Amino acid sequence: MLEARLEQASILKKVVDAIKDLVQDCNFDCNDSGIALQAMDNSHVALVSMMLKAEGFSPYRCDRNIALGVNLTSLTKVLRAAQGDDILTIKAEDAPDVMNLLFESSGEDRISEYDLKLMDIDQEHLGIPETEYAATITMPSAEFRRICTDLAAMSESVGIEASKDGVKFSCNGDIGNGSVTLRSHTSIEKPENNVDIELTEPVSLTFSLKYLVNFCKAAALSTQVKICLSSEVPLLVEYNLSGSSYLRFYLAPKIGDDE
Amino acid sequence: MARTRSTKPSTAAAAEDSGSSKSKSTITLVPHTGEPPKVFILPSKATPEARIVTLPNPRSSQPSRYLVCPETGIYEFAKVAAPKNEPRSWLIEAAPASNAAKVDTQVTMGSDLFVATAMDPLFLVLPALADAKASKGSDEPKRLFLSSEDHLDKLPQESSHLSEILRWDTTRQLIESRMGAVCDTVEAGDERMFRLNEKKLLEVILQKAKRMSDGGLPPSMEDKFVKKVLEAPLMHRVVRAADGQVTSSADSGTSTPKPDSATSQSTASTAETDASSVSQTSTAATSVAGEQAEESIVSALEASPEIVKQQRLKTAFGFICASYVTPGLADNLQRSLTGASGLVDFSLLNDYLASLEKLRSETLAVRAQDYSRKRNLDEEEDEARMEKKRKLEEEKKKKASESRAVRELKKVNTSGMKKLSHFFQKK
Repeated sequence: MLEARLEQASILKKVVDAIKDLVQDCNFDCNDSGIALQAMDNSHVALVSMMLKAEGFSPYRCDRNIALGVNLTSLTKVLRAAQGDDILTIKAEDAPDVMNLLFESSGEDRISEYDLKLMDIDQEHLGIPETEYAATITMPSAEFRRICTDLAAMSESVGIEASKDGVKFSCNGDIGNGSVTLRSHTSIEKPENNVDIELTEPVSLTFSLKYLVNFCKAAALSTQVKICLSSEVPLLVEYNLSGSSYLRFYLAPKIGDDE
Repeated sequence: MARTRSTKPSTAAAAEDSGSSKSKSTITLVPHTGEPPKVFILPSKATPEARIVTLPNPRSSQPSRYLVCPETGIYEFAKVAAPKNEPRSWLIEAAPASNAAKVDTQVTMGSDLFVATAMDPLFLVLPALADAKASKGSDEPKRLFLSSEDHLDKLPQESSHLSEILRWDTTRQLIESRMGAVCDTVEAGDERMFRLNEKKLLEVILQKAKRMSDGGLPPSMEDKFVKKVLEAPLMHRVVRAADGQVTSSADSGTSTPKPDSATSQSTASTAETDASSVSQTSTAATSVAGEQAEESIVSALEASPEIVKQQRLKTAFGFICASYVTPGLADNLQRSLTGASGLVDFSLLNDYLASLEKLRSETLAVRAQDYSRKRNLDEEEDEARMEKKRKLEEEKKKKASESRAVRELKKVNTSGMKKLSHFFQKK
């Protein structure tokens, strides 16, 4: 039996919105520590990993490990019925056929209840090791999104080059080339605009912009985004949710001669 | 049925009926009682002393009826019955002259006709001679020389009139003489002792079979056991003829038996000759048109007159054994007839049958292959079509459940990007 009450339905809404363009179907793995999600895109070059910790819910109850196989497009349709500030309660039986979603308006004068049919999804689970990254860039999520969309207009891929001077996003397309360079920046008044670059060694990698643009849909979740790079390992793009909950994206770097 | 429960009520009903409607109908039906009369045809040479007696059937040992005439021998009854779906009756007229006949003019219910046909008394005593008890132990049964009485005592005595008919001297002599034909005999004092000799028995039966087959088997038997057995599967053969006449004459030379022998032969081979002569004439007719490919349906294999004769003899022998000889003895006889050291050489027939069997199985295989191939194709096509349809539907469904962005992402060039499973280990 699962019962998880989320004060803000918008969190789940945004999470699902951010990943529904990357994966179709995925399992929400519920256990006593919270609700986790791991899924890869069709090409298996990108991976999304979500963790909604039990502390983020009030209350949270999960007696047994339950996997809720959900089609994200369908879940989006149900979540569209929720207002941003509604209270969301997710309920499921131990061996569930459906996932019950209950939306309560903050004034508690309207209650909507939906049952979403579940599906059996056979997914492989990858173990992601803790990695010490060569470069960790923390920057405003909106800024990252703007850079990605701007460069995506010119080229398919972006080169991210982190050095002691700063981090340079550069692209080379048919119509020309372009680059954006960011330097460390600390603002006392607006800490959300901070750009922080931690570097142990210079890194230069190339990534598919289409995927990065997709990741940036999670920008609504958090004002800040953490980008971790290391040569020969996937890029990590992390959005922090409330508390220690997170939404992480991994993307395999482009290695090879093309571009 | 007429004699059982239904009789009484019907009698009463008839009586009532006749009472009430006497004025209307002058004819009253007398309900018949007793078994309906049976119609027999008895041999004219049988004397008036001839009697219908019950004797054990030589094959089944069940009591059966036989006509025994002290002068002319023993007759069995063959029942001639009308087919079930064609009910028939006998109209029996009382003979005005003979007052001995107690039969009224009437129509019988059954249409059976019993014909008395002469039979060899040898068969009646054969079960006694080839006593099953004696042949139980070793494969070469130990048989003792016994007097005819001792032999005949071994026959089932129950409801048997054997002892009565043996009082007729002529009948006893007849039986003993027939026993002598198949037995080794020893004179012991003034008595003759008999012991069955299977070789003699085989010869006697073979003689009968030969006589039976030489005169030609009955048409139904000929059809079923000779013609059908020897019939080869038809083959569709295309003959490319340069000169129609030459080919046709060559054909007739090779495939048809000689006309002379064919005329004296049975229906089987004459039918075949007919068929081939028909094809021959058609060949001749078309050959006028000039050079062309001829198609004719030819029997793949044809039995020679010798083979037909052997098959007929075999059939006749089998029939006699199956009708008059106990199963165990019949098996022995069949074995010694067709065995390697048998009396008759059936090798020609056996070779022919073997090749025929081979041909048949080949033809069957070819046909089965043809059919199965065709059907398989259809099924496969159907399956493929269904599979395609299902896949299409599945795809449609999948597409509907997948967002536009996911579709777009599929088109992204991922060359040079390794799969994530390359970096992260599977749990």
